This record gives sequence, C-alpha cells and structure tokens, in this order.
Amino acid sequence: MWESMSLGEIIECASDPYPSMREWKRKSNKKVIGTTFADVPEEVIQAFDMLPTTIMGTHKPLKKAQALLPDNACSLARSNLELVLSYETDLFDGFVLPQVCDTTQHLSDIWRINLKGKYFESYLAPRQTDRESAKYWVRKEIERLIDSLSNFAQRGIKREDLEYSVEVHNENKRLLREIYSFKNDNPSSVSNRELFSMIKLSQQIDKVEFNQTLKKVRDTLKRGTRDGYTDVVLAGITCDPLEIYDLFDEIKLNVVADNLLVGSRYIQGEVDPGEDLIQKLTERHFKRGFFSPIHGSVFAEFQEIKRLYQENNAKAVIYVHIEFCESQEYDLPDLKKMAKEEGIPMHVIETEYQTTSLSHIRTRLQAFFESIRGV
Amino acid sequence: MSEKPKKELTKSQMLSKKITDEYMDEAFRAKEEGRIICYTTAISPVEILVAHDIIPIYPENHSVANLTAKKGAQMCSYVEGLGYSSHLCAYARCDLAYRATGFTVTRGIPEPDMFLACNAQCFTLTKWFEVLSRRGGGLPLFVFDTPQYIRDKRAREEIVKYCVLQLKELISLLEEVTKRKFDYDRLREVVKYSAEASILYRKFLDMARYIPSPISIFDALIGMAITVYRRGTPQCVEYYKTLCEEIQEKVDKGIGVLPKEKERFRLYWENLPIWFKFSDHARLLGSYGGVILTSLYVHAWSFEFDLNKDPLYTLSENYVSRFSNVTLEDRIDMALDLFQRYSLNGMLMFMNRSCKAVSFAVPTLKDILTKKTGIPALVFESDMGDQRFYSETQIRTRIEAYFETLERLGLAKNPA
Ligand code: SF4
Ligand code: SF4
Repeated sequence: MWESMSLGEIIECASDPYPSMREWKRKSNKKVIGTTFADVPEEVIQAFDMLPTTIMGTHKPLKKAQALLPDNACSLARSNLELVLSYETDLFDGFVLPQVCDTTQHLSDIWRINLKGKYFESYLAPRQTDRESAKYWVRKEIERLIDSLSNFAQRGIKREDLEYSVEVHNENKRLLREIYSFKNDNPSSVSNRELFSMIKLSQQIDKVEFNQTLKKVRDTLKRGTRDGYTDVVLAGITCDPLEIYDLFDEIKLNVVADNLLVGSRYIQGEVDPGEDLIQKLTERHFKRGFFSPIHGSVFAEFQEIKRLYQENNAKAVIYVHIEFCESQEYDLPDLKKMAKEEGIPMHVIETEYQTTSLSHIRTRLQAFFESIRGV
Repeated sequence: MSEKPKKELTKSQMLSKKITDEYMDEAFRAKEEGRIICYTTAISPVEILVAHDIIPIYPENHSVANLTAKKGAQMCSYVEGLGYSSHLCAYARCDLAYRATGFTVTRGIPEPDMFLACNAQCFTLTKWFEVLSRRGGGLPLFVFDTPQYIRDKRAREEIVKYCVLQLKELISLLEEVTKRKFDYDRLREVVKYSAEASILYRKFLDMARYIPSPISIFDALIGMAITVYRRGTPQCVEYYKTLCEEIQEKVDKGIGVLPKEKERFRLYWENLPIWFKFSDHARLLGSYGGVILTSLYVHAWSFEFDLNKDPLYTLSENYVSRFSNVTLEDRIDMALDLFQRYSLNGMLMFMNRSCKAVSFAVPTLKDILTKKTGIPALVFESDMGDQRFYSETQIRTRIEAYFETLERLGLAKNPA
C-alpha cells in the first residue's frame, strides 16, 4: 500500500498518515507501536514484526489534553496526548515512550494511566552522552526493551529478524540521504515539502513498503536548477506543520542541511554491520547529532549549526522553536548571541501545534530574506 | 511610633543562623584558599562533594531568598528582556538576572568552578547550568542522570547500577579537577552524618502528626534549609537534634500552631511553596482554622541511607527514588501515606508555572487522591516566585469557598 506512492500522495499521507495506517493494520493484521521523540530503536520493534511509528502531534482541536496538563506544557506534548486520547486511540496496540525531558518523563505516567489496557514501556535512554556510563546504559535499555517486547509478543526474536530489520532501516536512511543530496543541487526538482514529507513518513509507516516508493522517487529524479534559490540551514527539533516547507518553497529557500529529529538527525542513525547487533545499535545512539534536552558539550549545538552553515556555504540559519519547549528556551538566547557574534544570520520561527499562524511566519520570513538577498 | 519588639530567637534558630553564616563565610573564602566551588541541585549526592572538601553552592537557595523578598517579578522581567521566556523556572530566571545585574538581597553567592546537576529533581537545572557553564567559558558540568525509578524490580537494580557507575565517574572527575585522591573512608563518615541528620529531619517533619500539630509546613520549609545545604556535616546533625528537642517540648506541652480546638483543617500541600506569600498564607489559612502540615516536597530530603551498604550504592538508591523521579503511582502512594499518618482532611494542589517537573502530575494526582481519600481538592495555578502570575483576591475567594465545601461535607475537625 505504501510501495508505489506519487509525490502528491507522499505529501498528502505525511500530513495525516493515520487513515492509511488503519487500513494497513486491517490488511496486515500486525500490531502498531507508537513512540515519541526521540531515539527509540525502531529496528527492535520492527524485528518483532510490529510497526514502530513516531507520534508527531495532531493539528486537530484539543479536547481532553488541556485538562490533564499544565497550561504551559509544550504544545507537542499536549498535541501528542490529544492524538492518542481523542483521535487515534484504537490504532495503537501499545507504546514505547522515551523520556528525554521533564515533560516527556511526567507525560509518560499520564499517558499510561489514561490508556489502560495497552502495552506500555518506557525507554529510559541516558540524558548525558559525554561519558562511558551512557554507552553501558543504552545497551541495558535496548536489552530491557527486547525483553519487554518479548513478553508482550509472547515470543523472542532471532538474529535474522533483527538483521533484516536493521537492513530495512539502513536502506531507508540511505535512500533519504541520496534524495536529500540530489535535492540540494536541484531544488527546483524536489521541493522542501516533498523531501521532509518523505523523512516524516519514513518514521511513521512501514519501511519495507515505503522503501520501494523511495527507490522509485530516486530513480526518476530529474535534474533541475538551483538558480534563484537561497541555501539555508534548518535547526531545532522538528518543523511542523509541514506547510511551513511550502512557505520555504514559495520564497525559494533551499534547505541544504539541518539538525532536526525529523530530518538529518534521523538519517544519521544508520547502524553499522557487525556480529553483535545490540552493540551496533548502542553505538548508533551516539552517532546522532545534537538534541536539546540531552546533555553533551555545552557548545555542541552552536558548533554543529556553525559547521553546517559553513560546510554548506549557506546564507542563513532558520531555527524552529516549539512553543513552551523549555529545553529550546534555555538554548535560544545564547544561540542567537553566538550567531550574531559570528555574523551568521539567524531567523527564529515560532510554532505551536494547533495554532501556528502561517501568514505571520510568511511575512516575517519574507522580510528576513529580503534583507539577506539585499532586495 | 514605637518599634515592634524583636522576637527572641530560639536555640535552633540561632544555630541555623550560625551554621549558615559559617557556611557562606567558608564559601566566600574558598577562592583564596584554593578550594573548589561546585554549583549543584538541591537534590544531588552532595555527600561526594563534601567528602572531597568541595564547597557545594545551591543557586536555587539563593533565588529563594530573592523570591521570598518579593524581588521575583522585577528580576524575572529583567531576564525576559534578555530573551528568556516568562515560563521558565523562576529560580533560573532570578539567578540569570543576578548574573546579569549583580542584584540580590543577600550577599550573593561565589562564582562556580564546576557544576553537578542531578535530574532526579528536574532537567531544568541541567539546562540552566548549561547556560552558566557557557558563561564561564565551558566550565565542567557533570549530569548525574537518574532514569525514572520505574516500578520494576529488575529495572530498578539496573538503574541503581548505572547510577553507581556514574558516581564513580563523578569521583574521577573530582580527582582530576582537584588533583587529589578521593577518600572513601571520609565518604563513609559523611554519609553517616547525612543518615543521622535525615532520621532527625524526618522525625521533625513527622511531628506534624500530633493533634494539634506543633509545626506547619512553613516551619518545615524553614527547618529544611540546613539539610538542603549542610547535609553530611556534624553541624547538620546537631541542628536537627536541637530542633527536635524544641518541637518535642511543644508537643509535651500541647502547644500547636493553632490551639487544639481551633485546628479544623489539617492540610496537604502539593508542590513548592509560593515563596513571596509564605507568611501571608499561614495567617490567611490560620484565620479559618487551617494549617498546612506537609507536602512531598519537604519530604524530598528524608533520606534513608543504609550504612551497611556500599556508600555509592545507598546514595544512588536514595537519590534516584525521590518523589519527583518515581512514577505517578508511587507518588500517589507516598502522598496517601502522609494523609493517613498525619490525619489530613484537606488538600491544596498548586500548579506551579515555574516547575513543570512537579506540576505535570497535579491534575492526575488530584483526581486519584480525591477518589482514594474522599476529600475534595483545591487546585489553583500561580507561580512560586513571579508575583505577576498571582491573583490575591482570586486565591482568597477560592480558599474561603474550599473551606466551606469541606465544612459542608462534614470533613472539618472541630465544629465551628
Ligand atoms: S524536548 Fe521540548 S518539545 Fe520535546 S517534549 Fe520536551 S519540552 Fe516538548
Ligand atoms: S522549581 Fe522545579 S524546575 Fe525549578 S529548579 Fe526546582 S525542581 Fe527544577
């Protein structure tokens, strides 16, 4: 069902993948396991022949979540909770929820208490990545996840299951990387919206099928031009709603690099081949770039953004801020200051699930890029 | 106009002042004595720092002093001008304002050499310390990562092992920074003082179970300061011995915060206090026969160190299992235990804009506690330090209505 999608279908499905996921579930009779940002080893879930899918909020109205959370809870958390409580409850057979910040830690309790009867596991990946103990702990958590899923599925997994799953995921990332790189040189052929829809869907639907679509997309790519485009680096956690990419396309911005979870940070997560796959999955955890709530070097984010900006010869950085994400809010003032000191033009987009104002973003983006382009 | 006569300080108050003054003097001398200042979180395995002769400083405490002095709105709005959002923790906002302006109602706190953030309390402090670390050009920041203490025996064993590993890493870092070998015997001694002080601190808190209660949460909040910043020292043990004796004397004489016949509502408080309304709230509630007796927050420092275990192990077990890092189900059990032991008949549930770590659970906690105890709750939203989010009249009206409800339901202790 997802093997042969046109670019238009990809865009449509990425905006709301749930109807097609329901159909897929009905036809395949497989279980769907929801996860949230970030770093749950999807390969493990897929090895149990279940579908791992990252829940990325809803833009439908809030009904129940508000009463369960403080007013200043981040809008992604609120939106995710609403999606599972009000809109897609039946779709999910269970959840593996990572805890990356205070919000996700406490949200996972609320989630479990309000969705009794479903499989539930926490994934407690380390919130520090700068020491040996973090490696020890990632491995322990992957092993615990495998035990937990074995209990739920009432069966274990064989090495071949995990090997196959890793290969499918790796292939998905390779394909995305190829398309991304092609797009950088040919922005008139592949739009930002199309590329980031592919990356989003890759984290949500069955990759065995979707890889077929990606191969076809790759094989039919036609050379285009980058004339008139301005290359930018996109930074933050995620850029939602996807319509923001339409605005980038409209004003001819070419996202040539990013550090988003629904972006390069996902693609970076290829698992190396090897005898001990759990060890390889563990090592992969540390191959990914900066993620605001996880502690590493205190200058990591700025250094990463600066490197992407310089290596790609970009003209500006666009930072996407999710309303009420405390983690980003502690980073942002220093980030802006450092960008200014280094002469890196940086523009911040404010997003809030449910209420993002596209026209406001458009006006501000236009004004910013007019000044950059010297129009 | 005649001046209000100054109340004479009790023995424990004098001791508290002496310990605090000595601590701050020592901290301010640290640089010239070549000692290291480590900023840390109120909940953190500070015993390791103390054992290595490193001076722990708690920027949260410093912020409390400024917030209690009603400087919150002024300091918080200043940092908003620097780009920090108004819904970040008021401790952090207040501290960042102090960094930028030097303004404080105290003598301030010495500059840090390094940081230790324990996320059993919250991850906010990690992010806040990251800002301070950058400000110092990249000062060492050690995150003691305490995964949620989920309800699974095997997982808990593994979590504690991971924490022990990290404490060893912390010790290596301290050895590197100070170029001195860590002394495990000294650590055992420090943990012993912490264990003794914790037992006494808990004894002090538990005196709220008497009817009438000799202490309110406001006494507990004042009384908790020494264990927050001086645990692991003999002075801390001495302080709680003195404090317990004083309170016991009140119990023996039947002296309560309110007289027995006037003590009508024995209340649970969820969350941190509203620092700038501290004494006003005590007076307001008292006028209705209400007294807040306890909260999970003040119990966060009632550790149960097991001196028969490896010190790193017992430290890990204790720090990872604080109320802010257990599951909501465990937190509910902890609160129910207080309801039962302290004969509580009311609950004030504060949604603190500043502290998501504690406030996230409040709506669910309230529902379940009400269901299990049959006691309705008063839920209100405000901020622990930023007066701009506090509405006096609204809170007064709601408290009044709440007591009427308790009365109507026949939950009040003494007839009006
Ligand atoms: S990291 Fe930020 S956006 Fe993500 S859940 Fe936490 S607060 Fe929300
Ligand atoms: S008040 Fe809450 S958010 Fe602020 S430092 Fe304390 S625990 Fe962390």
